[in-house]
Amino acid sequence: MADPIHQFEIHKIFTLGHIGNQEIAFTNSSAYMFGAVAVVSLLMLGGSAGRRLIPNRFQSVAELSYEFVSNTLRSSIGEEGMKFFPFVFSLFMFILTANLIGIIPYTFTVTSHLIVTVALALMVFLTVFLYGLYKNGLGFFKLFVPHGIPIYILPLIMVIEVISFLSRPVSHSVRLFANMLAGHITLKVFAGFVTSLSALGAVGIFGAVLPLAMTTALTALELLVAFLQAYVFTILTCIYLNDALHPGH
Amino acid sequence: MAVGLRLSSELVAGVVVGTILGWGFDRLLSTSPWGLIVFMLLGFVAGVMNVMRSAGVGKKQ
Repeated sequence: MADPIHQFEIHKIFTLGHIGNQEIAFTNSSAYMFGAVAVVSLLMLGGSAGRRLIPNRFQSVAELSYEFVSNTLRSSIGEEGMKFFPFVFSLFMFILTANLIGIIPYTFTVTSHLIVTVALALMVFLTVFLYGLYKNGLGFFKLFVPHGIPIYILPLIMVIEVISFLSRPVSHSVRLFANMLAGHITLKVFAGFVTSLSALGAVGIFGAVLPLAMTTALTALELLVAFLQAYVFTILTCIYLNDALHPGH
Repeated sequence: MAVGLRLSSELVAGVVVGTILGWGFDRLLSTSPWGLIVFMLLGFVAGVMNVMRSAGVGKKQ
């Protein structure tokens, strides 16, 4: 049967240089990341080049994605959250494009690697932490002190709140990674059933219809998951940024 | 599956961070195993709190 993990392998394309004894290589993962950035840039530049009053397809996709992210941002943070718009929009478009590219057969899914999603989640976490400190000073730590808690259990609650705050980048990154990994493995396992069943002869070919139908349905589900996970990542980013702007529950 | 993964990752994240904190605490202050025990339990509490928050239980009125 086809190896379901094979699709996640990283290959070196060429070497960029060395830091110490560690080789810094340009891999297939880097290539797909550049690809995702190129697709997003082409879409946005191509969509905004015409400036038609009545948008064509290209321009309306670009406008739709702009409207979508800005509405999400406005509804969860408010008008002052718009200064984070470039950051949130880049995150959303990058994750969405990387997820969607990954559904195409024979491609590599960048977001199915934990290191990529951890880097993105840590970027959000550090932005929230540093900007929160910069904006509110020590008032940022009101985040860990909920209202209306009796003084004698306050130290306990504070420790729990700090752990809860530190666990944010973990769950933020693992969620995206696990969804993409699990989805692609499931897809590959069911597709593998089709080939191994049809090798059994006439009865097998008849039976292979079932996993084939399952694979088709799962591909549709994966399309939904690809969008949904990009959206979930974005909305959680907005919620966390909201904490940086307005600490204190 | 999406909701299940979301909630379970919240719980696991809390426990993992609590455990790492407790382990580091023990390493620094050589209080093994008390830091691990206490912080793992606190991490469990934080994980349950994360799950309740993301499921929208007990929202602020």
